[in-house]
Amino acid sequence: MIPMNTLWTWIAALLTLAIFSFLYKDNPFYKFAEHLFVGVSAAYALVLTYYNSFIPNLIFPVFREHNYWFLIPGLLGLLFFARFIPRIRFLVLLPIAFYIGGYAGISIGPSLQARLLKQLQGSMLNPADFADPWMFVNKVIVLVGILGTMLYFYFSREHKGVLKAATNIGIWFIMVGFGAAFGYTVMARASLLIGRVQFLLMDWLHLIR
Amino acid sequence: MNEFFIRLSRIDRRYIFLFVAVSVIIPLLYPLHYPTRVTRHTRAVFDIVDQIPPDSNPILISFEYGPSTMPECHPMAYAILRHSFARKVRVIGITLSADATGLGEEAMQTIAREYDREYGRDYVFLGYKPGVTAVMLSIGEDLKRTFPRDYYGRPTSEIPMLVEVHNYEQIPLVIPLTGSATATFWLIYAGARYHARVADGVTAVMASELYAYLQTKQLSGMLAGLKGAAEYEHLVRSAGYTLSEGRASRGMDALSTLHLVIILFIILGNIGFFLSRRAAGKGPRS
Repeated sequence: MIPMNTLWTWIAALLTLAIFSFLYKDNPFYKFAEHLFVGVSAAYALVLTYYNSFIPNLIFPVFREHNYWFLIPGLLGLLFFARFIPRIRFLVLLPIAFYIGGYAGISIGPSLQARLLKQLQGSMLNPADFADPWMFVNKVIVLVGILGTMLYFYFSREHKGVLKAATNIGIWFIMVGFGAAFGYTVMARASLLIGRVQFLLMDWLHLIR
Repeated sequence: MNEFFIRLSRIDRRYIFLFVAVSVIIPLLYPLHYPTRVTRHTRAVFDIVDQIPPDSNPILISFEYGPSTMPECHPMAYAILRHSFARKVRVIGITLSADATGLGEEAMQTIAREYDREYGRDYVFLGYKPGVTAVMLSIGEDLKRTFPRDYYGRPTSEIPMLVEVHNYEQIPLVIPLTGSATATFWLIYAGARYHARVADGVTAVMASELYAYLQTKQLSGMLAGLKGAAEYEHLVRSAGYTLSEGRASRGMDALSTLHLVIILFIILGNIGFFLSRRAAGKGPRS
């Protein structure tokens, strides 16, 4: 009798190899693994959402606790399916409007605070920055980078003369930013490959401990 | 010589895949033990966890990664949990991504067994809750109302370690482990809105976006990709909290070697590109 753990490890390893086989060329093994993954992921998410959201947030409150207020969001959610019935398709706008309105109201304040005000505050020079020369240099670089980048995206005037010089500085900062992001992306993808190879060598073949 | 570089730049990509595979497999089989340099952002997360008194208020780890980002985020989870459980720091685990439910539970159970920690007293797993931002905001109001029951169906009001925990005020650190934009959402909705202390553990793809928030101290620290996980593992091992070498540390040899190979191919490819353009009578730009 094969232990369940071993069986699952073998299945995972063979599916990993099926996906890797695409690197040579497209083939039925790859297609099978890809479709299996999409199907399993969708079913897994559906079942989890049903048990972790639908049951505790609608079924329990309404049928166990008899709190009928929960029927209102339940009904709003149900209206999403109105788009499948041509005669009442317009009703789908109701939950969408409710969702967008609520979400905008919730997020505008904190987003403004975290993404704009705090970031602006962080880019400003203040007297304390002059105490540490290294900190001062860093802050000046940040300030020059922000001004240069913002000027690059200023399109109401032709980029020539002083404005062109400033936008050129902005381009350099943007390119450095893109380079850093791309470098990190390469690292991320490489890490995923290493994770799979570790699984094959450690958990499947037991070549490393 | 020129012909060689030009032909090299047109090499079948499958040979490159082969080189990549070899540069990953060899260092995994025969470790090179490159030194680990710990960045200040990783050390900041370690220091915060290290300063939380044992058996006091719990930290909150939000597992938000799936199998596709597991190699980067799962070692982070293991390392942070090892650190926490070794110091008797209590942990609340939640997930905002359906994929992460099984992974989060497995990480908590495995490390809890390793350090003989008791469910409900030292750690708790509240499971998956859809809604992302709604969940983050709701925890700021009432944790137990957001999660009326834990992952196993037990009412959270009856779990001993949660008796005194009501919202972010009783949570000294929030650590989302994620490969998505939720890393930013936490600092907006838990950080800016409820003044929670947030430190992210993110995939490398996300890391460059978050440096701006580290500079303004909206993020207290960050583990960036496999490197961040390896750094945390190194700190936990150096402090004597564990003897085992984590998967991220083992993977770093392969990652460094692979980076060198990729850099080499970029250089060779560019030389071939410029030489082929010159041979065709074009300048570097047209």
